[in-house]
Amino acid sequence: MTARSTILQSLRATRPDAASPRDIFAESDACAAAMRKTLPPLAVNDLPGLFAARASAEKVGATVERVAALADLPAAVARYIADNVMTPNFALQPDPRLQKLDWGGLRPNETLRPDTVLSVGLALCGVAETGSLVFHSAPTAPTLFAYLPIHHVVALDAQTLYLRLEDYATGVRGRPSPRNVNLITGASGTTDIEGVLTRGAHGPGKLHIVIYG
Amino acid sequence: MSQTVESPDFDLRVKKALADPQLKIALERTTGNARRKRAAAVAAWPEFVAARAAAAAIKDHAIDHMAYYLEVFERNAIASGAQVHWARDSEEACKIVVDICKTAGAKTVTRSKSMLGEEIGLPHALEAAGIRRVETDLAEHIIQLANERPSHIIWPAAHHTKENVAELFHEHHRDKSPTPDIESMVASARKELRDDYFAAEVGISGANFLVAETGAICTITNEGNAELTTTPPRVHIVTAGIEKIVATTEQALQLTRLLVRAATGADFTQYTTFHCGPKRPGDLDGPESFHIVLVDHGRTRMLADMPEMLRCLRCGACLNHCVVYRAIGGHAYGGAYPGPMGSVLTPVFDGLAESRDLPQACTLNGQCREVCPVDIPLPTLLRGWREKSWRGEIEPTATRASVTFWAFIAARPKLYHLGLAFALPLMRLFARGGWISKMPLASGWTAGRDLPKPPSSSFMAQYARRRNGK
Repeated sequence: MTARSTILQSLRATRPDAASPRDIFAESDACAAAMRKTLPPLAVNDLPGLFAARASAEKVGATVERVAALADLPAAVARYIADNVMTPNFALQPDPRLQKLDWGGLRPNETLRPDTVLSVGLALCGVAETGSLVFHSAPTAPTLFAYLPIHHVVALDAQTLYLRLEDYATGVRGRPSPRNVNLITGASGTTDIEGVLTRGAHGPGKLHIVIYG
Repeated sequence: MSQTVESPDFDLRVKKALADPQLKIALERTTGNARRKRAAAVAAWPEFVAARAAAAAIKDHAIDHMAYYLEVFERNAIASGAQVHWARDSEEACKIVVDICKTAGAKTVTRSKSMLGEEIGLPHALEAAGIRRVETDLAEHIIQLANERPSHIIWPAAHHTKENVAELFHEHHRDKSPTPDIESMVASARKELRDDYFAAEVGISGANFLVAETGAICTITNEGNAELTTTPPRVHIVTAGIEKIVATTEQALQLTRLLVRAATGADFTQYTTFHCGPKRPGDLDGPESFHIVLVDHGRTRMLADMPEMLRCLRCGACLNHCVVYRAIGGHAYGGAYPGPMGSVLTPVFDGLAESRDLPQACTLNGQCREVCPVDIPLPTLLRGWREKSWRGEIEPTATRASVTFWAFIAARPKLYHLGLAFALPLMRLFARGGWISKMPLASGWTAGRDLPKPPSSSFMAQYARRRNGK
């Protein structure tokens, strides 16, 4: 007997299939609904405001600014580069919406490498409750842009914000799953040495979020 | 390189831990931080008790229908291009992983922290197969350099002070950090591991959740090392216990909300990633093949004997709040999982005869259950092991004899009171200044601490006297 059938048989010996898939589905939905009634309170005035407060909380560790439109991203990146005293070279996530922006004197042509200092990207959406950015991997959104550099600057459309984690999950339910769903909540951190929070463990030590719209 | 050899004797391991003053400092720094942060996070969630019950219900639902959900998961994972393997025990699981590594021609594998990997002895199996293993989680990196096992399930290097870590890094890292500050040490590890992410042919991770509705597996980290471990290599292997199954992405996120608060006091992990199959057409990164190894290793037995334990999210809160763990640290427990949850799990994996001391090393103060985010009745499960140990007659003769003697006396009130009436005045003879620091037959207690001088008569005797107005 294969390992697979041994395992499934012994599971069923203890818990026989007693319900139809439809009943199981309904029971599962009821479980999630019960949890939704208990959630931590949120003071919601506006979603971008809540997102900004959560993402820039000390334990999350991102910085956030708001601009009017995506066209203002190059100016925000230029300010970030000047503030952090970096060269104007960076790796740009290959999203056509970013590639067609006027980058002026900046040089967004760097190939992503293990020692890339800065990458600039565009999130698919955000979750205000936790201050999380959401990326779905795709040819226009490779995963490593969010993990390799020390600095990550990300544009986020205010219109794409969800209030709760549950709202994001139900929003994408039933759609084909991308290879990677990355929920990124602040800068990389570790508490592995004496429980002391330190930034830039392996992922970006600095995450700057530019909310537009 | 084989790991530091530990004594097979629990008492000796405990004695060694208790005699290590630095261990106590390191443990208190890490677990103290964790307790304070968790308390603040829970205080900010008024409905936490109800949320905990809802989390337990989500896990119980998946456990009740585990066979069904594992089949749904497998179907969806295969549809995404993943290859799904099943392993009855640790040997089968390790063989599957090593074979995949060999087929991929792997010389180096990177590994993102996985307790299941420790449980099945994967580090040792890779080593035995001559495959270079690079641990990428900072704490796992530290203990790999120190040639040790993890001592905590969230902070595997909880037993090390920053001074120890500085020494290790100075000895092993290419860059010699001039100062032992934590920030420079973290930067040094980042630099040290960067090349290995790209040199490895295979990246191995665990899974915090297996999501039935999508066939994806979920990893959560704060460092970002999981994605750097799983994305650049050609092959990604996931090893996961079958109890990690949940029905939906939504439920995985709901459980993470509790898991993270219980573990570190944060509202959410920095990096919460769902991995669903290999690289897709046009993708610029990602593994070419994606393997998921579903491991039983005692879990099907647990479904029959202690299904509540299958809820465990591996948050470590029960360790941080356990008075025994905080005194002896993780290595003294001798298994992959220390603390209260480890004392419940290790007898499942290693057999009760080998680990009967663990369920005994507990004060049953109930703290572990109180802080558990999925309300596992850990004290009840520990008592269950004690009962099994008694019924299975694996207690040492001296213990059996003394407990039998005690039971005989305790069941006969007159005899019990007579015994007390003799014992109390006798004990008082050994007291000096209100304390007994030495007494025949009590050296096991008095070697470590004094006994308070008992009153001249028992509570029952005093109560009877007062009621009679004497």
